[in-house]
Amino acid sequence: MNLDDITLPSKQYKRKVTIFSISAVVVSLACIYLNFNPIGFFTEFHFVRDLLGEMFPPNYQVLAENSSTGYAILQTLSMAFLGTVYGGIIAMILAFLAASNTMPYRVVRVIVQVVVSLVRVLPSLVVVLIFVIAVGPGAFAGMLTLVFATIGTFGKLFTEIIENSEKAPGEAIYSVGASRFQVIRYSIIPQVLPSFIASLLYALDVSIRAAIGLGIFGGGGIGFKLQLAEKVLHYRDVTAYVSIIIVLVILTEKLSDYLRRRILGEGRLR
Amino acid sequence: MNRGEFSFKRYRKYIIPLLLLAAVTEGAAIVCGATFEKLEDGLTKGIVFFRFMSPPDWPAFSEMLQPAFQSIMIAFLGTVFGTLLSIVFAMLASSNLAPGWVRNTARFLIGLERSIPEIVILLLLIAAFGLGPMPGIIALALGCIGMLGKLLADTIEELDPVMMDAMESVGANKMQIIVFGVLPQIMPNLISYSLFRLEINIRLSVILGAVGAGGIGYELDYSFNMLQYHRAFTALLVIIAMVFGTERLSYMLRKNIKMEGALK
Repeated sequence: MNLDDITLPSKQYKRKVTIFSISAVVVSLACIYLNFNPIGFFTEFHFVRDLLGEMFPPNYQVLAENSSTGYAILQTLSMAFLGTVYGGIIAMILAFLAASNTMPYRVVRVIVQVVVSLVRVLPSLVVVLIFVIAVGPGAFAGMLTLVFATIGTFGKLFTEIIENSEKAPGEAIYSVGASRFQVIRYSIIPQVLPSFIASLLYALDVSIRAAIGLGIFGGGGIGFKLQLAEKVLHYRDVTAYVSIIIVLVILTEKLSDYLRRRILGEGRLR
Repeated sequence: MNRGEFSFKRYRKYIIPLLLLAAVTEGAAIVCGATFEKLEDGLTKGIVFFRFMSPPDWPAFSEMLQPAFQSIMIAFLGTVFGTLLSIVFAMLASSNLAPGWVRNTARFLIGLERSIPEIVILLLLIAAFGLGPMPGIIALALGCIGMLGKLLADTIEELDPVMMDAMESVGANKMQIIVFGVLPQIMPNLISYSLFRLEINIRLSVILGAVGAGGIGYELDYSFNMLQYHRAFTALLVIIAMVFGTERLSYMLRKNIKMEGALK
């Protein structure tokens, strides 16, 4: 080791400093480009304080005054549920058509895979805007969007689950004369079903969150109510809706956790 | 009992949940007003509408590039600041760095944040700060806490306690343990999680843009509302390219990080 190695900063240190300073410059340039001042959040915090002052106490009268709030909650839940169920069923069918161990024809596999990835990259904002035009604003448009979103997110995952399933049981029953469909029914489905159900319960969780966002673009439900209250500056109603949303999301999360443990924990689906 | 024959007893555990599921589906369909006639009608209308939208308005393409870049920058800054925030929250929420009550409070806050959709945060921030990229960036940054904070906190809690004990025994203080012990170890996870979050934030920035954060989402929503569907189609293509591009990029970067093992 010569003297330079000891007195000068190490190569590793230099590399770290370079990476750090380049990222700092990029971040600052981006901030300048967007006219965004991170410190502004703290210097202008009084706006947030003013808003919070207007938001509290929450006005839970919205629940009691008209029944439409309860109906909106129900709509959001139904939207998410239907989107997950139908999206899940379609995603499963597509997954079996796209997996190399269930679909012998390469052409079909490639086509289905391309369709799924197209659905995947379509942002839900675009999908909801198109469905609002096609079927009119409301929960139905939101539901169809969630069907799309579920197919996009879980189609590819399901394909991978099917392709990663154990081959030996299938080969074993094939060797004693099972047909292709019997192999799928008695070897592949029992293997993949628990993962599918766990994924779909998680999908329900994701859909509830998405359903609230979609409501704002004409998807109906509680998101729409929230946006309406925000537009007419009824901030105390907004607080009530936000707290309802939080409770809804937490409850679905707990429910989906519970069901997952209940269904999968005891190995009932074997 | 014949083996091949259908028996209720054998399939009971599938049939009863399926019937329940069907009943709930039917109820939900009534609430949503979902019928097959409506779907058929909507699909024909949708296809007609798609024909109506094409061809895209190519001259508008160059006007879309700047908003698209703006959206990407919003997502980028949101992810950067969000990651920094999440690191702080993750440290506070891990049992081996923070005392019990701090950890539980931080975990509670992270869970609370996770249950508020980003778009709701954005609506509130717009009400406070007005329209523009600033509430968008803050909403995305806050939105990172729920996911990244939890993932990172779990990573920190799984770190080998021997390492921290060893550092402490040679006289390192808390700060030194964090900087030289914890951060280098979580760095690979940190980078791959935040790249994944960047993907999500790019998608979100489009949605947030439509609500009022500016960028390509605003262009899309505006063109839809102004009935300029050819222009909307252009914006749609730009968005798809943007989302697809970042997805590929983040996938490649994450694979590289995995191969290198760690960022030494």
